[in-house]
Amino acid sequence: MTADLIVDPQIRFWVFLPIVVITFLVGILRHYISILLSSQKKVEIQQLADSQLILRARVLRENAKYIPKTSFLIRKHAFNREEEGYLMQKRPPVTQNMMTDPTMMTDMVKGNLTNVLPMIIIGGWINWMFSGFITTKVPFPLTLRFKSMLQRGIELSHLDASWVSSASWYFLNVFGLRSIYALVLGENNAADQSKQMQDQMSGAAMAMPNDPKVPFKAEWEALEIVDHQWVLTDIENTITQSDG
Amino acid sequence: MPATLFHRFVLTIGFLSLFHVAYSAAQHRSYLRLNELDFTHLPLDVIIQAFISLFVIMYGVMNVAGDFKEIKASAELENRFWETFKNVPSFYTFSHRGRFLNPSYSSYKGDDE
Amino acid sequence: MSSKSRNGNNRKVVAYSDLAIRNNLSVVEYCRTSMAALSGCTAGVLGLTGLYGAVFYIFAVTSLWFMILFKAGLSNWKNYFISRKALLTNGFFGQLFTYILCWTFIYGMVHVY
Repeated sequence: MTADLIVDPQIRFWVFLPIVVITFLVGILRHYISILLSSQKKVEIQQLADSQLILRARVLRENAKYIPKTSFLIRKHAFNREEEGYLMQKRPPVTQNMMTDPTMMTDMVKGNLTNVLPMIIIGGWINWMFSGFITTKVPFPLTLRFKSMLQRGIELSHLDASWVSSASWYFLNVFGLRSIYALVLGENNAADQSKQMQDQMSGAAMAMPNDPKVPFKAEWEALEIVDHQWVLTDIENTITQSDG
Repeated sequence: MPATLFHRFVLTIGFLSLFHVAYSAAQHRSYLRLNELDFTHLPLDVIIQAFISLFVIMYGVMNVAGDFKEIKASAELENRFWETFKNVPSFYTFSHRGRFLNPSYSSYKGDDE
Repeated sequence: MSSKSRNGNNRKVVAYSDLAIRNNLSVVEYCRTSMAALSGCTAGVLGLTGLYGAVFYIFAVTSLWFMILFKAGLSNWKNYFISRKALLTNGFFGQLFTYILCWTFIYGMVHVY
């Protein structure tokens, strides 16, 4: 350990602390800017109806055992009837391309504006402003492999691997402050991009299929092969006996 | 119990105490360096204060974070009575014969005018 | 909004409220993040290095677990959480990075310069 290496205390107040504060405040700022820029997504009423239709068909398929056979057949008929069934409707083919649709385009630009651009600008600025300082030492020993990660900007081959340069300290902050944002801004904040991805994944039920033909076909097939078995045949006896 | 002013006060005290501990530790380090002594451990009172302030802050955070809810779906329904559910405002009826029992009610007055 | 699960022992279907579970988990997550950050700060103030810091993290997570159980009530924690063990182990490594960042930060502030 290079315990004898003494760092100028001025670095603490003029490099080390400012990097943390700047990173943190930029994250907060990004949160509010993306709230400002975020636009409510327009949903076509037809798409909404289609996705609800698929949900209805799924619910029917899963809970078919709780309704009498005739009721199930009627409902199934409504969905799967030839030509006029709900799932057999023809929709005009939607050719929505990511690049041609202007709203998609602006969304992407906004996403870049709030996520990528500040990263580059602030990162570059910090690299330029605070380059070449040793800021801190991680309190645990590290192997030499971490040198390139933690000591960006200082090429000193004899320096111990646990010292951190200013540029690397900035990147550590960018990744490490995520959960602090969750603490300060509440969950699902915009400063944290990974959460948003999760949201999009979990909200799959409400995702609008651009082209309903494929999910319609899948749902139609699934509904066709459902084997109706009523589980409530003996329900009166079960209830009266279990209560007794 | 919801987060009260008391818990926020505890939280603030804890943070101030932690800050003070950090400052004392930094002072100790600079004292050691000026006297060219080796660092072995912090003074005992600083260590104790650090632990105490950590747990004081955590006590505040636990209370500020919010309350737990019962996870059983029936938990909310257990304390309600049939009268609560029976009470449906849309089906209130006021035009019944009971209105004649009200001393302030007079049907003739309304009819004359 | 309720998910059902079958309890093996007494063959009774217990319905859990989805909303309450999520509320509890978010409260626990809040406490866990705070604990990671604060214990990181404390470890930095105390000047722990190497394995001592890891041991301190384990100590912090375990004591947080006890505090949560104590808050929920030692005997009736089952009202609020499904599994006591999952409460301890979930997010053990997820908050490690926060801990290390705070540890490094305060260690640098207090002990390096």
